[in-house]
Amino acid sequence: MRLLSKTIRETGATLLVWGTATSITIPFLWLIGDLLWHGWPQLSLNFVLALPHNAGREGGIGPILVSTGLIVSVCMVVALPIGLGTALFLSEYTRNNHMYGRLIRGSLDVLAGVPSIVFGLFGNAFFCQTLGLGFSILSGGLTLACMVLPILIRTVEESFRAISQDQRLSAAALGISKRATILLILFPAAIPGLLVGCILGLGRAMAETAALIFTSGYVDRMPESLMDSGRALSIHIYDLAMNVAGGNPNAYTTALVLVGLLLTINLFASWIADKWTTLNQLPT
Amino acid sequence: MRSFTHGILLSRLLLIWAFLVLGIYVLPSTANATTQKLVLSGSSTMAPLLLEIGKRFEATHPETRIDVQTGGSSRGIADTINGLADIGMVSRALNPQEQHLHGSAVAHDGIGIILHASNPIQELTNTQIQSIYTGRINNWQQIGGREATITVVNKAQGRSTLDLFLHYFQLSNRDIRAHVIIGDNEQGIKTVSGNPHAIGYVSIGTAQYDASHGLPIRLLPLHKVPASIESVRTGNFPLSRPLTLVTKSQPTELTKTFIDFAQSAEVHDLIFKHYFVPFQD
Repeated sequence: MRLLSKTIRETGATLLVWGTATSITIPFLWLIGDLLWHGWPQLSLNFVLALPHNAGREGGIGPILVSTGLIVSVCMVVALPIGLGTALFLSEYTRNNHMYGRLIRGSLDVLAGVPSIVFGLFGNAFFCQTLGLGFSILSGGLTLACMVLPILIRTVEESFRAISQDQRLSAAALGISKRATILLILFPAAIPGLLVGCILGLGRAMAETAALIFTSGYVDRMPESLMDSGRALSIHIYDLAMNVAGGNPNAYTTALVLVGLLLTINLFASWIADKWTTLNQLPT
Repeated sequence: MRSFTHGILLSRLLLIWAFLVLGIYVLPSTANATTQKLVLSGSSTMAPLLLEIGKRFEATHPETRIDVQTGGSSRGIADTINGLADIGMVSRALNPQEQHLHGSAVAHDGIGIILHASNPIQELTNTQIQSIYTGRINNWQQIGGREATITVVNKAQGRSTLDLFLHYFQLSNRDIRAHVIIGDNEQGIKTVSGNPHAIGYVSIGTAQYDASHGLPIRLLPLHKVPASIESVRTGNFPLSRPLTLVTKSQPTELTKTFIDFAQSAEVHDLIFKHYFVPFQD
């Protein structure tokens, strides 16, 4: 009797765990399935390259893809060095209880929790108006950089901290300077973490709507310079789905492209991180 | 030895980064300096239409760029006043405090009350609509419908559809007991088509398009006038608005050329394509 009830309890527990795991997968599969179902029929090379027509109901997303790429590039080019430097400062140049370090960490945590629309309004007020950049890809990219920095810095800092203290001590014992230690030992070892930080930042940047609508803007023309306004993919999806009657089919296809891009970037990054780790484990 | 390769790699990465930064500074200056740019900002209802008008204008006027931004009519007014935009898009007539701005109407749009298609209610009086939006009537049964709580869908602050609706029904936004707050028209239509007990109000053109494309929504007549593009065109529909382009001062040069173009018969087909009614004096 006790044996039986034990089996029932065990099966119950197994079912419960399987159930929760399935309930996580179902929304994901549903979402991807829905996107494929509605978006796939319109997807073609022409859709990816063509200019949008009739407010996006017809035509493709060529200029929007280019604008998104430019915005994200500006964001990463600006955010990476600043993020890397701050992370190095936090992990290598300050102790945990250092006052200034704590101030930086505290402000980063606050920044990470700020809603993106607030970044959007800040970007509009500061980059577009005060600095006079207007609605432009540059304004959008800089706004995104501000938004991505907290995540980037914290991830990179963690990856530096994860490196064993032995390596730093051995380097010091061998008389290697701090600069050389960072450049030649810590930096290569932190590359996978750096990549993860970049991908998290990139993902957040590419999927952003609220921070971009008031900074990089709504124009769906092919951008000719970074001072041109350019529409990001997520804004295009939002506009087609919520503002343009009959925009649904193309909204689905654009969303499919965006999700596909994000998945590709994720896969590529984990592949690189894998490669890098195996490369470093080879005996030198 | 491997460490040294990393060092070289790092210096190369730094070099690439330096080039990218240089690119950011150099690229803007390579833009064609002779190009004249007009920035439009404001009403999300008008933005897709003006985007298309802008493209046609660019095609006939080389050396010009029409940039359309969005965010709501209030934003259009604000951006025009602080100079971020040359022309504001405002989907209503200018109110008395805004008379220092210059407005030119390009098209008309009606605002219609929408219900879910399965809702048996065929008509509501203005008093009933007022009561629903102020929460005095909160069940469809009270006005001859099914036994179900009414879901009131209202527009967000700063949207001119909201201002017009409040003005027409002599309501104040504080009195409204809304369950859902929406921004753009399509969002309102999606909310109502997904909830059989909802009531909302949106641009008639958009609603008519979606209803004819199989979405389960129904436009209610207002004051016995059917809510359709046709009755907006004839001027019979009581709740309609001019889609207006505003400028800080009397439009001149390119601004004037563009506004004249947007009011001309050359863009009537675009206006119809966006389910609005061209403006006629």
